[in-house]
Amino acid sequence: MSATETAYRNRKSEKAIRVWTVVILLFIYLPMVAVFIASFSKLRFFMFPVKAWSLDWYASVFNSIEIRDYLGTSLLIAGVVTVVSVVLAIAGALAFARYEWKGRSLYQKLILLPIFFPQAVLGLAILLWSSALDLSPGWQLAVFAHLVWIIPIVTLVISIQVYGFDPSVEEAAYDLGASRWQVFTEVTLPILWPGIFSGALFAFLLSWGNFPLSTFTTGAEQTVPVWLYAKMVAGYSPQVPALGSLTTLLAGLVLFGGYWLGRRKAKK
Amino acid sequence: MTESILELQNVEKYFGDFVAVERINLEVKKGEFFTIVGPSGSGKTTMIRMLVGMDKPSRGDILMSGERVNDVPANRRPTCMVFQSLALFPHKTVGENIEFPLKLRGETKNNRKTRAIQLLEQLHLTEAYYAKKVSECSGGEKQRVALARALAFDPEILFFDEPLSALDYRLRKTLEKELKDIQRQTGKTFVYITHSLEEAMVMSDRISIMRDGRIVQIGTPDEIYNKPANSFVAQFMGEVNQFNVTRQDDARFLDTDTQDTYVGPPDADLQSGVLIVRPERIQILAEGEAADTEIAGTVQNQYVLGSRVQYEVKVTKRSLLVETMIGDAWNVGESVRLGWNSDQAFLLAR
Repeated sequence: MSATETAYRNRKSEKAIRVWTVVILLFIYLPMVAVFIASFSKLRFFMFPVKAWSLDWYASVFNSIEIRDYLGTSLLIAGVVTVVSVVLAIAGALAFARYEWKGRSLYQKLILLPIFFPQAVLGLAILLWSSALDLSPGWQLAVFAHLVWIIPIVTLVISIQVYGFDPSVEEAAYDLGASRWQVFTEVTLPILWPGIFSGALFAFLLSWGNFPLSTFTTGAEQTVPVWLYAKMVAGYSPQVPALGSLTTLLAGLVLFGGYWLGRRKAKK
Repeated sequence: MTESILELQNVEKYFGDFVAVERINLEVKKGEFFTIVGPSGSGKTTMIRMLVGMDKPSRGDILMSGERVNDVPANRRPTCMVFQSLALFPHKTVGENIEFPLKLRGETKNNRKTRAIQLLEQLHLTEAYYAKKVSECSGGEKQRVALARALAFDPEILFFDEPLSALDYRLRKTLEKELKDIQRQTGKTFVYITHSLEEAMVMSDRISIMRDGRIVQIGTPDEIYNKPANSFVAQFMGEVNQFNVTRQDDARFLDTDTQDTYVGPPDADLQSGVLIVRPERIQILAEGEAADTEIAGTVQNQYVLGSRVQYEVKVTKRSLLVETMIGDAWNVGESVRLGWNSDQAFLLAR
């Protein structure tokens, strides 16, 4: 095959790949776009195509004290889950990928298992245990349930960073007179930082959008996804697409804002 | 005699049933460039890990300036190491890397910077490197940064764990000499570990050769080269000619494989052993020249090594390696007379 022929083929396949990518993205995003468009509808019912536009439902979302409470609860849970899961996952990731110890390969399997539990079953199980232990459901129980599922994921994310880490760098710092704590703060933590940051983003977003665990464990203190679901199955309110769009938007902001911050830090 | 700065007394290290190093006794003097050489698996890495304080000996004592340091951890010892991987901090600049030990000691920012730039210059790097990222440096530059960081620590003993092994030949040669210069300028004690005796020869005041967890010989480069303790040491430097021999009379030895006789070294008192002659010690004799031992042969192969040429010469039942300066031209297929004098051969225990 001649060089020009190869180039021609490459250009052709490149075009095909581009078209394919757009098709896939449309497939993924179109339903969400539909909800987004529906949120600007004047009608009380979820209907397509939209005939009359309005921002009324956004106004009603922002004015609802009730919804503000749900947002607050969601934020609180996601915030606590982020902090706790990152702290535990740093230690977990070092045990996963850095240190040789007896039982490590068993641990590596066990720690990943909760990711694959059906979440609804996990939520129910935690609720049953809490009543057996006489704990009432609430945001704290939801935090616990989220952690069971999210810590393994964050551990995995940070472990990837740990695998790319030359352990002799820690030994060198120690050898140059650093205490164990100084080795951790001066060397280990900064080198793992990109992984920790991604892990924190994951933790926040997964908790923020979680429905199956929250629905069993939040009790009276509902989160946004739980409220959205409740409104969808009974007593539909046009606030649903508006609030749904808003929460998705916030998640997008956190994600892209996070990446932007991370890149800017890396450039410095 | 200069005082000893490092002393090992009957040091042993076991990992379970495995004996990594055994009955190590050695003494390093202040200001010395001391190299531990051994093939992989000889225990040299175990040795250096104990010396810097990253492992504890199972038995025996390590003394630094007369004090037992077995239980002193690495971060409390007045020593530091240049790692094989160099272990530069990837998230810090060159300057921050060098300043790291000074920062730990609480030196002011200004003092740290002054010292870092001083060290950069001492290692032939310009001030511009101060703000560079480690990832922007070449292999040789990284070496220098790692050395600068270790010197900033101002250790009493500086350990090296084969830091040059990943570099290409020419750069390695340059850095070997630079390292020797730095050692002379600073007057610090350097303890270096390598698998290359050639590298050790260039830099060291004294060399210790290890094999299977034990020290085989300790001596100056000259002693190692000219008075190897056994055939392992003799072969470690490079290719040699070996003959299995038994003593025939006072001066003559019989080759048990070919039945040839050779004139052995005059001071040898062994009854049998390995007679070793280095390729560069065998001459191709010209018309009328004579030597204690003479063998006739045919040139079989020629390898140009640069300034030297190596010939593979077929003699009865075997072939010998001979090295001469380039310029002496012997053709493949030519008949030659090889010879060496008795004092150019070693007789060593098998």
